Amino acid sequence: MDGTQTMTREFQEIDSIISKHKGHHGELLSILEETQLLNGQKFLSEEALNHVALRTGVPLSRVYNVVTFFSFFNLKPQGKHTVTVCRGTACHTKGSKALLDDLGLMLGCSKALEDGESFFTTPDNQFTISTVACFGQCALAPVVAVDGVIYSNVTTARLQKLLGKISKGRKKS
Amino acid sequence: METKMINIKINGSDYQAPDGIPILDACKRAGIEIPTLCYLEDVSRNSSCGVCVVEVKGARSLVRSCTACVHEGTEIVTNSARIRDARKTNVELILANHPKDCLSCLRNQNCELQTIASDLGVKDDRFVRTKKELPLDTSSSSLIRDPNKCILCGRCIAVCGTVQTVYAIGLSGRGIKTKVSTYMEKGLGNVACTNCGQCALVCPTGAIVERDDTDDVFEELMNPDKVVVVQTAPAIRVGIGEAMGMESGSLVTGKMVAGLRRLGFNKVFDTQFTADLTIMEEGHELLKRISNKGTLPMITSCSPGWIKFAEHFFPNSLSHLSTCKSPQQMFGSVAKTYYAAKMGIDPRKMVVVSIMPCTAKKYEAKRPEMMSAFEHWKDKKGWSQDDAFYDVDYVLTTRELARMFKESGIQFSNLPVEEFDNPIGESTGAAVIFGATGGVMEAALRTVYEVVTGKPLANVNFTAVRGMEGIKEAEVDLNGTTIKVAVAHTLGNARKLFEQIEKKESPYAFIEVMTCPGGCLGGGGQPIPTTWDIRKKRAESIYQEDLNKPLRKSHENPHIAALYKEFLKEPLGHLSHHLLHTTYEKRGLFVWKSNGVEKKKKEMEHAK
Ligand code: SF4
Ligand code: SF4
Ligand code: SF4
Ligand code: FES
Repeated sequence: MDGTQTMTREFQEIDSIISKHKGHHGELLSILEETQLLNGQKFLSEEALNHVALRTGVPLSRVYNVVTFFSFFNLKPQGKHTVTVCRGTACHTKGSKALLDDLGLMLGCSKALEDGESFFTTPDNQFTISTVACFGQCALAPVVAVDGVIYSNVTTARLQKLLGKISKGRKKS
Repeated sequence: METKMINIKINGSDYQAPDGIPILDACKRAGIEIPTLCYLEDVSRNSSCGVCVVEVKGARSLVRSCTACVHEGTEIVTNSARIRDARKTNVELILANHPKDCLSCLRNQNCELQTIASDLGVKDDRFVRTKKELPLDTSSSSLIRDPNKCILCGRCIAVCGTVQTVYAIGLSGRGIKTKVSTYMEKGLGNVACTNCGQCALVCPTGAIVERDDTDDVFEELMNPDKVVVVQTAPAIRVGIGEAMGMESGSLVTGKMVAGLRRLGFNKVFDTQFTADLTIMEEGHELLKRISNKGTLPMITSCSPGWIKFAEHFFPNSLSHLSTCKSPQQMFGSVAKTYYAAKMGIDPRKMVVVSIMPCTAKKYEAKRPEMMSAFEHWKDKKGWSQDDAFYDVDYVLTTRELARMFKESGIQFSNLPVEEFDNPIGESTGAAVIFGATGGVMEAALRTVYEVVTGKPLANVNFTAVRGMEGIKEAEVDLNGTTIKVAVAHTLGNARKLFEQIEKKESPYAFIEVMTCPGGCLGGGGQPIPTTWDIRKKRAESIYQEDLNKPLRKSHENPHIAALYKEFLKEPLGHLSHHLLHTTYEKRGLFVWKSNGVEKKKKEMEHAK
């Protein structure tokens, strides 16, 4: 299937999402939430947003306002696996910055992290690295979450092992 | 229903006020001013700056008076040490993230942030910067946005959305990352923005300003090889005096002409000449559409913000737009054909500068189709694409002209009164009123009536289409056929009339649309501030100038008659078609996909 066909199918799916929510309270939010799940990479593409705006009549600037306000909306493709590094004070003093830098080196995204991007996805779409202000697990600092599982007292070596395992698992499947 | 009056206390004295109005308004009624920054009458009350705080008895913290309301027995204090401290702190917090570039900022000495900081006695810089520096948006040919100077007052968003119904800009992000954005950060030049500049007109700071072209124009004026001529829109003569420190609405036609000569323009002409020409063409176009059962209603096309709005939002109904170019563009093509030939000037050496009340005119002048004079000469002279030139080379707003006067040390109020140059500087009263909402309609009716009936108009004043009402209607009897006409200003009102057309419910034959509130006299390039009171004063001067003119109907302008006799031959004729009429582009909402203009622009750049 080529790109345009995929897009047309996605547009049809968006249309049915829109008709399902039409007239309901918080319509736009629900539409966008479901639309984000359509492409398997958990993000809202520009084409998808255009289509939502066109069909709902909501101005593009308003749509953009909503998708940038709520942190659960992504405008860039999300990797299969998420690595979230805590940047709270406790984790920071226990070396979370160094962890983040090492992650950047391991996955080739030092530049983006240096530029202060709050998240980055590797070109092969396997990993999305993001930071969080605080997990509230300060006693276990430094804390890193991989695919939602929280790991405590993380070191670069441990992280390397973990990511290696995930990558290997990926190769097998 | 009459609002209930209630008793309140302000600073210990008793007053009455309508129940439930904002404290700020109640105080104003009582003659007590409260300083404000983000609030703008009729535009926005988003309660973001905290400058308007007051004490209200019983409230634990200070209250923002622009949004908090009065009730029976409310006791308000508007001045205390605590209030002054809080106001000052709130401004200091804004300034912490503000680049202090006043000396090189276009809004220097005309900036509400600067004024409030000085009024409140802000002296030191105690807070550290918390925001990252953001890039400028320079994608628009009309406006520049500097998000670093933005104080998030929300006025631009309110004007663009509620008044103009364009919604080109909105807030994005949250918390400290909140900013005014275009969709996907594409920039104003790459989204459905009409370039109307109303956002720049209401911005309290230098965060949205016109693209300043004064340096380029100064350079052209210094070039001895160029013949630099200038045209002035009707609304400039009631705006430039104000920008030079005179009273709002001062009518300064003659001084403006004198000032332009002193800047070094070789000839000072008038866009009003081609406003008369527009009436000739547009009037005949209307009559032709009526008699040939063409697309009706026909809508005026002088306002380039409106044109772009129609192209974005009503791309399938563009046949309703008159094909006439705006007076600015008609001037460019007439100057570089008829006038250049008459005077033996090489049109390639001619520079046409427009002084406009409008930021959208900057964009209009650079539309790729606006090169009619070059197209006219190209084959006759054997010129190549390397010789290509626009009909209008530079567009300056009223504010930029004021800047040029000041830079040149011109004492505006002491200037003598001088006359425009001829033959393309003479105009009638019908052309003056183009500057006010309803003016193009009235001017057209004066001519159309006489052309159709062959009888002189008993009363040239069509007062039904004057005034600041959003949509105005009138009926005119043309030799037994009655036509209905309508006039709308602001794009929000224009949208209503266009929606009516798309539903096939429009009762009108002819509609005038002006993008800006009040018409061009309230344009996005006019002096800041522009309030409804000021708009009314400018309108009074416009109608005064109409009365001053010996001739008040476009078809009576002897120089227009000569232009047709010597050159164009007849309205809607072959030459008119090429030089004075234009086409429109179906843009739709997602502009970056319509690359016709972009492609042509690139070709142009290569040609240069
Ligand atoms: S916006 Fe106002 S305060 Fe800011 S730099 Fe410009 S003049 Fe100064
Ligand atoms: S120029 Fe007009 S349309 Fe464009 S952003 Fe400003 S107010 Fe909106
Ligand atoms: S750009 Fe100007 S008008 Fe818009 S929010 Fe910022 S300061 Fe206010
Ligand atoms: S003027 Fe009231 S909060 Fe800004």
